[in-house]
Amino acid sequence: MAGEDKVLTEKESLELISKMINKAKNSYHDTGIGPILWGSVITCCSLVTFFQIKYRFDLPFDIWLLTLIAIVPQVFIAIREGRTNKAKGYDDSIMDTVWICFGFSIFLLIFINANVVKQLNPVFQTYIDVKGTRPEFNYSSFSISFFLLLYGIPTIITGVCRNMRPMLYGGIVCWICCVVSVYTKIEWDMILTAVAAIAAWLIPGIIIRSKFLKNRKADV
Amino acid sequence: MFKELDPILHSQLRLAVISLLISVKEAEFTFLKEKTNSTAGNLSVQINKLKDAGYIDVTKQFSNNYPQTICRITPAGIDAFESYVKALQSYMNPNGQ
Repeated sequence: MAGEDKVLTEKESLELISKMINKAKNSYHDTGIGPILWGSVITCCSLVTFFQIKYRFDLPFDIWLLTLIAIVPQVFIAIREGRTNKAKGYDDSIMDTVWICFGFSIFLLIFINANVVKQLNPVFQTYIDVKGTRPEFNYSSFSISFFLLLYGIPTIITGVCRNMRPMLYGGIVCWICCVVSVYTKIEWDMILTAVAAIAAWLIPGIIIRSKFLKNRKADV
Repeated sequence: MFKELDPILHSQLRLAVISLLISVKEAEFTFLKEKTNSTAGNLSVQINKLKDAGYIDVTKQFSNNYPQTICRITPAGIDAFESYVKALQSYMNPNGQ
């Protein structure tokens, strides 16, 4: 910027203000790696679980443990993005809080579900002893609906606050899948979970990533 | 009657810095340098003028063993910027009041 004390006309001043505000707005660069990571992990876990239920086979480990492993690269991604961002927006801390609360809510839901299942098991056993067959009711199928409900909340908030339409639509897909999952069996709930993860995180993540790479090319 | 333009803000680089800072919560010196295409020395002088006027807060710290200068707009800076924009509008549209 030439001449720090150059006298500006009123028009030049207004143009400079709007140019700088736009530059600051465009400086927000989400790399898209986080949404791609979580979209892929949840899709992979859901599809593997679907095939496990459908074709009745077991893996030597619980595939959903992948979600715990994925926390490690996520922490590295968050630290690296924090270091490369040279400016903090007003909504950055709000977004971080929303996603951290979402993470904790998922763990709390897992904890609640585990306890509900623990209390239901003796009831089911009594039913099997009396009736001789397994009951139709499967709590796990409903628990998927709660997860899908949770998936939608931070996704929609991020979509609206960051003005990312694909994420907003992805969040709405999560809630549609949530409603549908109430009426479907657990294996199809897994397909719905995969659809929700693809719509809410994988596709928006790929779009964000391609925009990020395009912006980086333009900056060079 | 035209409002007088704030001489602190009515300078190309200082106005650019304040316009950037009004849009973000806080920004590093390197961010301001990159966005304004200015030299470090020039930018440093203008940042000090804005700081002396009470329009911005400047925090110097170390991050990963590197010195880091963080700038934030103050409430006085926001007021000054808003008054400056209103004054500009009165110049641009003198009959529109």
